[in-house]
Amino acid sequence: MDKSPNDYHISFFKPTTAQAKANRNMVVWLISIWFIAIFGFQILLRLIEKPTPEPAYLTFQTVWQNATSESPGIFELQEFGKTSLSVLGKIAIDPKERIALDNALSYSLYQLTPDSLKADFVLKIRDFEKIKLEIQSISDPEYIVAKKLLSAELSPILNLSDLDVRSKILPLELSSENVNNLTDLSLKSLPVIMEKYLIHNQSFLTDTKFLGFPFHYFYTAVFLLILFIVLCLIYNLKTDKLNGKLNIAD
Amino acid sequence: MKKIYILSLLLSIPFLSHAASAASQLEGGFKVGPAIILISILVLFVMVGILFRAKDTTDFYAAGRGISKVGSGMAIASNWMSAASFLGMAALMYGSGYHGLAYVVGWTGGYVLLLILMAGQIRKYGKYTAADFIGDRYYSQTLRAVGAIIAILISISYCVGQFGGIGLMFKWVMGIDYTWAVIIGGSVVLTYTLISGMLGVTKNMQIQYVIIIISFLIPLFILSYKFDYFWILPQIGYGSAVSDAISGIPLAETNQLVNSLGNGYAIVPVPEYAMPWDTATGKTFFQWIAIAFSLMIGTAGLPHVIQRFYVVPKASDARWSVVWGLFFICILYWSAPVYAAFGKILSANPEVGQLSKDAIVVYTAQLGSVHPLIVGFLAAGGVSAAFSTVSGLLVAGASAFSHDLYVKVINPDASPERQLLFARLGTVLMAIIVTIIALFKLALIGQLVAVAFSLAGCTIFPLFLLGIWWSGSNKEGAIAGLIAGGLVSIIALSYFIAGKTGATWPLHEFVEYWLGAWYFAWIGAPVAIITHIIVSKLTKETPVEIRKFLIETVHS
Repeated sequence: MDKSPNDYHISFFKPTTAQAKANRNMVVWLISIWFIAIFGFQILLRLIEKPTPEPAYLTFQTVWQNATSESPGIFELQEFGKTSLSVLGKIAIDPKERIALDNALSYSLYQLTPDSLKADFVLKIRDFEKIKLEIQSISDPEYIVAKKLLSAELSPILNLSDLDVRSKILPLELSSENVNNLTDLSLKSLPVIMEKYLIHNQSFLTDTKFLGFPFHYFYTAVFLLILFIVLCLIYNLKTDKLNGKLNIAD
Repeated sequence: MKKIYILSLLLSIPFLSHAASAASQLEGGFKVGPAIILISILVLFVMVGILFRAKDTTDFYAAGRGISKVGSGMAIASNWMSAASFLGMAALMYGSGYHGLAYVVGWTGGYVLLLILMAGQIRKYGKYTAADFIGDRYYSQTLRAVGAIIAILISISYCVGQFGGIGLMFKWVMGIDYTWAVIIGGSVVLTYTLISGMLGVTKNMQIQYVIIIISFLIPLFILSYKFDYFWILPQIGYGSAVSDAISGIPLAETNQLVNSLGNGYAIVPVPEYAMPWDTATGKTFFQWIAIAFSLMIGTAGLPHVIQRFYVVPKASDARWSVVWGLFFICILYWSAPVYAAFGKILSANPEVGQLSKDAIVVYTAQLGSVHPLIVGFLAAGGVSAAFSTVSGLLVAGASAFSHDLYVKVINPDASPERQLLFARLGTVLMAIIVTIIALFKLALIGQLVAVAFSLAGCTIFPLFLLGIWWSGSNKEGAIAGLIAGGLVSIIALSYFIAGKTGATWPLHEFVEYWLGAWYFAWIGAPVAIITHIIVSKLTKETPVEIRKFLIETVHS
């Protein structure tokens, strides 16, 4: 019997044939798995995460008031300089924020330098800045020597060991500008900068290790891609089987 | 011809080795070895293009429908693995950490949707281009023309990022200005596409896939071995590098390992590199979800991706080519984060300076002291990735211009020669427009490409999804849906462009955040789909012949 025009209707949600029904069920299943695996996991990450500070942030909180007071303590200034270096070492820093951090580092070193040597300290920074501007390449011998000397001389002031990676960054981040005081910008922005760079969203999913990865990273970067291929494979195998069963040719 | 080519390659090896030292600098200077590798590969592409050149319009548009499913899968992967995948993805992870993984997930997860909802049905519908489908399914020449224009816009938007990538690599190899690098690179890819058409492109895509993947993987094995990670499978071995970046690597534990500038393989703790939506990256949970979602539905709406299903003989081949394509794509997507992780650690010293994020793949290999020739090969792989995609995009755009606009709407009696002429004219026009936009360097490569995905997700995706799966979807609904999706796109892109020119419009910050240029499809696509459904329900039914065709051909 011929179909009437009203019979020609296709709707994913209202399948009329056995093949369409089977296909709809399979698609709903696969898309549900796909959706939950991608978005469900990220939502779970979001729900259970807790803002977790790095040790450097806790140190910063302890020394901030003292380091910016009229008569800062030696230990506080050292830690203040080191926490600034901890953020500067992250490299990917907003240029404006870098200025404030450089100011904090240089200020803490200046304050830690004995009064009789302060002028000499500023001179040394200026000399190094001049060398940095003049060199064509960082393999310039004069630059390498000056950098090493500055690092060797200033690291002990901050109580930084030679094996601390921050000691290598130190000479590169010194700034002779506003070295004798913390600028208003630095005073205002440093707590915000520290919070921004030193507090992270963590949970057991980020702290658990799997094959060397943080688990959440492995799940998203490696596992999800495997899952996508498997979902596609399942769909094709099932469709081929269904087509074979219902004698459907392409 | 092949013998001459192989001989010339062999003869150049001693010269390449001699020239290698020139590539040891991170920036600037003409790098002879990498340049020769790049030129050799480009010559290879052009020769393949000539050998398999299009003979008529069917060849030009759809490669004669003679490509196997594995071959087509390889072509899908090569077509897909653009500068955004090769260069841009590592750049996004290098700069934004976990946020970059939204792009990895978005650009792979979309293939599940594409396969389950569309691939087989699109092939069964049996058209040449996306606009062909839209025009026929919605029985409207106007919609066909609009579909063609959207396809052209998407191709242009997608190409801009690719030209940016080509420019960066040409700049790196030749040591020339970015502007000239884009112009020279763009001219070469245009010449090649004009010579070959899609048949040459498809053959080339298979060769390009092999070059892209080998060039991308070799440095990873070297880097993993050199820095003492599980090098047999770097895609797993780099997990420890990610954990090292989180906890920091003290100088005492570097075992004398240094980067090419002599800085120790050490880093202060950078948990923001791997922790989700970290404040240090300036990216949020919403943006992660919106980007992943937009890229996924955009994948299922990209004309040049959909068009690839027309070049396989059967619907089942279309389905299986997606699986193969996705597998081939994933090999690169599992690998890109490795570059970002090593790049993060190797560039963790102010002396490295501000690196162009989009070239971090190449810089990482350089900083890891990988042999300059291998770095040159890697750069050539990046150019190949951009080339393979651009040629596919230019063909898709040219098809829309010539086949859908000129032949179907303006001059139905056009001779095949005239059609081919217009296809080539369209290709040149697009290449010029893309070159001009690429010179502005509006954003990172990955982000620029993501714009095309959102555009496709708001416009083409709803038309295909509803057109295939619901016979009630009619012309009026399609027009209304297109207007709704188009409006969201126009608002998002206008604010983006205004922001780039320094203008501040009302609610600027609000719109730029919630309708970001790389993820506005998160809302644009649902709005378009809902509008499409409502208007279809309120207007007259789809003609019976269309419904009959859907039942008897597409879903039989």
